[in-house]
Amino acid sequence: MKFKDQLRFVRQNMKKNKSRVFMTVLATAMGCAFLIVLASVGFGLQKSIVDKIVGDRLVTAITVWGKKNIDQQLNAEDLKYLKSLNHVKAVTYKDYIMQPLVYTSDNQTMSTDKTVAVDFEEEAKAGFALAAGRLPQKPGEVVAGFHFGKTVIGPEDAARSEDKRADKERAEGWIGKKLTFDVHQLVNGKKESFPQQVTVVGIKEKPKREWLMDTNIYIEIGLRDQIEQLTGTQLGEMRIAANGNEEAYEPRAFDEPRNYNSVETFVSKAQQVKETAETMREKGYSIHSIADEVSQIDVVFTIMKIGLVFVGTIAILIASIGIFNTMTMAVTERSQDIGIMKAIGAHPRIIRRIFLLESAWIGLLGALVGTAAAYLLSAAVNTGVPLLIQAFMNEKVPQDFIFSLIPPYLAALSCAISVGVALLSGARPAKRATRVDVLRALRRDV
Amino acid sequence: MIEVKGVSHQFNIGKKGSEKIVPVLHEINLHIKKREIVAIVGRSGSGKSTLLNLMSGYIRPVKGEIHVMGEQVTHLSEGQWADFRLRHFGFMFQSFQLIPSMTAYENIELPLVLQGMDTLKRKLRVQELMERVDLHDYAGHYPGELSGGQQQRVSVARALVLNPPIVLADEPTGSLDSENEMQLLGLIHELNRERGTTFVIITHDEQVAAIADRTVALADGRLKPGKEQVTYEV
Ligand SMILES: Nc1ncnc2c1ncn2[C@@H]1O[C@H](COP(=O)(O)OP(=O)(O)O)[C@@H](O)[C@H]1O
Ligand SMILES: [Mg+2]
Repeated sequence: MKFKDQLRFVRQNMKKNKSRVFMTVLATAMGCAFLIVLASVGFGLQKSIVDKIVGDRLVTAITVWGKKNIDQQLNAEDLKYLKSLNHVKAVTYKDYIMQPLVYTSDNQTMSTDKTVAVDFEEEAKAGFALAAGRLPQKPGEVVAGFHFGKTVIGPEDAARSEDKRADKERAEGWIGKKLTFDVHQLVNGKKESFPQQVTVVGIKEKPKREWLMDTNIYIEIGLRDQIEQLTGTQLGEMRIAANGNEEAYEPRAFDEPRNYNSVETFVSKAQQVKETAETMREKGYSIHSIADEVSQIDVVFTIMKIGLVFVGTIAILIASIGIFNTMTMAVTERSQDIGIMKAIGAHPRIIRRIFLLESAWIGLLGALVGTAAAYLLSAAVNTGVPLLIQAFMNEKVPQDFIFSLIPPYLAALSCAISVGVALLSGARPAKRATRVDVLRALRRDV
Repeated sequence: MIEVKGVSHQFNIGKKGSEKIVPVLHEINLHIKKREIVAIVGRSGSGKSTLLNLMSGYIRPVKGEIHVMGEQVTHLSEGQWADFRLRHFGFMFQSFQLIPSMTAYENIELPLVLQGMDTLKRKLRVQELMERVDLHDYAGHYPGELSGGQQQRVSVARALVLNPPIVLADEPTGSLDSENEMQLLGLIHELNRERGTTFVIITHDEQVAAIADRTVALADGRLKPGKEQVTYEV
């Protein structure tokens, strides 16, 4: 018998007692929705809490503090080694320019003091996120931190309070602006200035943590090299002339081997962090990864989620009593039809399959309706609960905090559970259907 | 075609412990040939249905063997019997045994569906047969909307739709009036001649015996040669 025909039989059979089938589907849907919504709280809280902890940091990042002990800084050799590791897709570092650069633009002066040289090629691979614009392509192009504009000193201060534009728009206003600054150095005991000009081509994304301000200027390694050429020292560090009993200070020359700070390596998938981190530790690197931190929390939540799914499954099991009942009644009602079919040559296997299919169908319908309902309920919880908390406890729920989250695989899992449970509860009635005695079913005749 | 060899059957009735044995058939030998219409007659309760049920595989004989088209069927499992029935037998019953929730068309189509034939071929077959049994206007009617004679013609069509070599019919005219009975018997007779289908028909009716090539009589669980036409050794 063709599957198509089996399905047709099932549909015809289900039409014979619509209200009973409807109630059974409804019960299954309720069980399924209950399971999903219950478990979704586990998923939602986990995501909210983990997101809070992770913040801007990437779970695929491994921070490398140093070697052996933290005092020993990383050198070019180490960077090369880290890049060569399996899974590692990018290695980034931050070279802070070691003299305060004062930027001016259109007669506005910025109080920014941090200028960071980064390897944009690696940053791009690591996922350097921009709020607007693009990444620099030559030394004369820079990226400004999201709050760079807030550091304007002087006349802008007054104007700023009147500026009603949104933060993002205001930040974007900096794109295309030219910034000038001077690089200073003591040359033969005399302070000299080298004027420079760069163009803002991109704005870095706003830090996820609300209280963080990003007022940095991010420059190309090429520009760092130019600055070093001018000062003759690494990272543009300034010489200090001898003064009274203070000795003169000569920083490292720009062509000496250099150390790298804030080194971070990035792997492609969070699951690769553990293995990669292990390798690095064995090599004597002192490292830290947010994944380490989060994995502890994940374990707790995984246990919690399993518990919730378990409790939710009980609801489906209760609904399965309904399915069992419906199928048992269906078999009883249709024993005459079953008898006729067997009498003319229907294989018991076919009869069992038709009834199993019917209960699976009920389970699937229930699961689909239940899943749809669960998504609605979940949305309601996410908008409703913060309002309730605000109204009754006078406390504000942090922004982006979600209580209920339904990942697709949770929906798929509960559909599988309810179809599975439906099949289980249909198994006995289906078996009973195959045992219908032909002669007893045709009794009218005998 | 069908060979019944030394078949005996009995029923156990009553509760366990105080069972009563009711012997129904005793050492039955019967040979049914190809293209024959065989009528089995006998008083009510003489064991006619039991004999047919044994041939259909609905029950198993206590003793003896049954061969159908050279195959020993007495030891087939339930599933094997189902396949065997579908392939070799068409069935007719006194109360038609049509599925009430299916239309005449769907009832006739049922064996084809069970066999797994595809829709288009099915349609041709069913339509041809509906034409043959004069039911082409009733395809969409449910059994409840058909007269007894029409219902029994639906069941003839269902019995023949897979072109089985054998049709087993238990009192097919039992609930028909004489006019419908004559019509049905005529139809069976024609189909037997056209298709060479073997018919085994149970009846306690003289009319049926009229179209039969041979009549055998059951009495007290034993087979006796019938009154008419060619007789057959016991
Ligand atoms: N399932 C059964 N259980 C017990 N006795 C039965 C059963 N089926 C038939 N019988 C008995 O077997 C005998 C023959 O019945 P049956 O074959 O139906 O006769 P017929 O079809 O010739 O009228 C009857 O006495 C009947 O009571
Ligand atoms: Mg009978």
